[in-house]
Amino acid sequence: MASLSLKHIEKVYENGFHAVHDFNLEVEDKEFIIFVGPSGCGKSTTLRMIAGLEDISSGEFKIDGVLMNDVEPKDRDIAMVFQSYALYPHMTVRDNMGFALKLRNVPKDEIDAKVNEVAKILDLEKLLDRKPKALSGGQRQRVAMGRAIVRSPKVFLMDEPLSNLDAKLRVQMRTEIAKLHERLGTTIIYVTHDQTEAMTLGTRIVVMKDGIVQQINSPEHLYNKPCNLFVAGFIGSPQMNFLDAVVEKKGADTFLDIAGFKIKLPADKAAAVEGYEGKTVVAGIRPEHLLDGRGKEKDFCTIKAPIEVRELLGAEAYLYFTLGGKQCTARVASDVDLYVGMEGTMALDLNKLQLFDKETELSLLWKEW
Amino acid sequence: MKRNTLSYKVRQYLMFGGVGTALFCAVVIVPFIYGIYLTFTSWDGVSPHKPFVGLANYAAAFADHDYWLAMGRTVIYSVFAVVLINVLAFAMAYLVTSGVKGQNFFRAGFFIPNLIGGIVLGYVWKFVFNRAFVAIGTALAGGEQVPSLLASPKGAMFCLILASVWQYAGYMMLIYVAGFMSVSDSLKEAAMIDGCTPAQAMRNVTIPLMRSSFVQCIFLSITRCFVVYDVNLSLTKGDPYGQSIMAAMHVYNTAFTYKNYDMGQAEALILFVVCAVIGITQVMVGKKGEVEA
Repeated sequence: MASLSLKHIEKVYENGFHAVHDFNLEVEDKEFIIFVGPSGCGKSTTLRMIAGLEDISSGEFKIDGVLMNDVEPKDRDIAMVFQSYALYPHMTVRDNMGFALKLRNVPKDEIDAKVNEVAKILDLEKLLDRKPKALSGGQRQRVAMGRAIVRSPKVFLMDEPLSNLDAKLRVQMRTEIAKLHERLGTTIIYVTHDQTEAMTLGTRIVVMKDGIVQQINSPEHLYNKPCNLFVAGFIGSPQMNFLDAVVEKKGADTFLDIAGFKIKLPADKAAAVEGYEGKTVVAGIRPEHLLDGRGKEKDFCTIKAPIEVRELLGAEAYLYFTLGGKQCTARVASDVDLYVGMEGTMALDLNKLQLFDKETELSLLWKEW
Repeated sequence: MKRNTLSYKVRQYLMFGGVGTALFCAVVIVPFIYGIYLTFTSWDGVSPHKPFVGLANYAAAFADHDYWLAMGRTVIYSVFAVVLINVLAFAMAYLVTSGVKGQNFFRAGFFIPNLIGGIVLGYVWKFVFNRAFVAIGTALAGGEQVPSLLASPKGAMFCLILASVWQYAGYMMLIYVAGFMSVSDSLKEAAMIDGCTPAQAMRNVTIPLMRSSFVQCIFLSITRCFVVYDVNLSLTKGDPYGQSIMAAMHVYNTAFTYKNYDMGQAEALILFVVCAVIGITQVMVGKKGEVEA
């Protein structure tokens, strides 16, 4: 297993497109790092630079302290699981899994033993003599994982390995990958655009946008302390509600005026908007922090708006309404009897309220990454 | 309307494929079957009478020493030409898919010889071998006259092979290009990460996945080489001393020059069977283990 160091990594293509800007990351041994972001944010490019499939334009990439910038992919001691699985169609599952060892002139007995061992872990024993064409999507995914595991590499790289699976299988395989990480204790770098995968699998998440790292931290930290509007909106599903709020002061108290509703801020939030009096900030509140506020007006700050859409998801329901011209979502228990056309009273959990500068889009509450 | 009935399916087929099938039968199938029939007659190519002679034409064909000499030359020519065409086509396809600058220009350039008809191509190469090469050779030999390559049997065979390779390699290159492009980049990248050198990736991943391209190209080049006539006619005309007459030219001469139409037809059919057996065997062997990239 290994530690990785990426310092000031840049990727500029020949046509001048700047895909990755000043990427810095220290990965410790056995960490499960997730690169997450929308399409085109540079996460796969960064992963491919780590794999050696793309040249690094500038910066330093080291594995265990050894500079890898100009080292061939085959000599980096990494394994990669591709989005398309990239199984060799003309080889059986056994040959696919043992191919890398065969290239390294490992004795056949040893290859067979390793392949059988990994096949047992991944429940592939009965499929070893089949070709990829005869496998289902989930089985192919497991073979791709097996091919990586057999080599016992220093680092596993996974490029959206679950994106070709159906929703149910994706959840199942997500759990399998988490178990494998626990069992093998490997360093994994995993690329996804699915924030649920990022939140559930990663020990640390790297959020990227337009080739720039937005924030690097644990899933809990990103969820509770997003450093800017993008991270706040990207992490969490349904996404955080963003509302324009004017900061007002009345005596010692600080209020936010959100679409005519006056919200009294607790002391820590009030301190964050010090100096913003009369200015507009962005208030962010997650759907799960908007509660059914009927009868709670005395204890909570509440807002009111007619319910426009109700989506029942089983144990919970999403309520959609418009406030100050912005579409908002509340996530409530399914037995909350608020339906389309009714006037919804929503209580805000102010401890969870996020505040952002409207111009810079940076958090007013959390300065650290 | 019931869509599962036989009459519906027949009408549907006739609507979409009727005209094509009729034309194919009229210009290929019927003449071919009629040609087989003619091999059992002593028709002179003109007379309305076609006396039935059984297998006499085949017996004569098998006894025709010159025919089998021509067939032998065709086999030798085909072996060299097929190997060289495919090696060169594969190398050119690799070059024009490797991201080299001006690859589209090279693709077009390599394909152009295939657009030149065999007759014209043969005359062009005849000029090159008889004039250009001779002039260069003479100059290099200090003024001493150097004979043309076409003046010796081996030289003529070499020239035929060279002209055919030049003609067909560009066409086969396109099939290999399609094969190269059908192998996904992620497979090549996976091979690199697994530890392959570029040569190992080519041998272990790319080439096995291009099997269908090899099967097609080898089949096409075998069938084309076995029935070569136009280049043979314009480049060597069978010379020197009939030592470069290929099987197809021999068949033509037998039928139309020496007016042995019946025997020529039988020899043509034998050539077809030899060509078909080799081609089909190669396809059947090659198709085994073929997978989609």
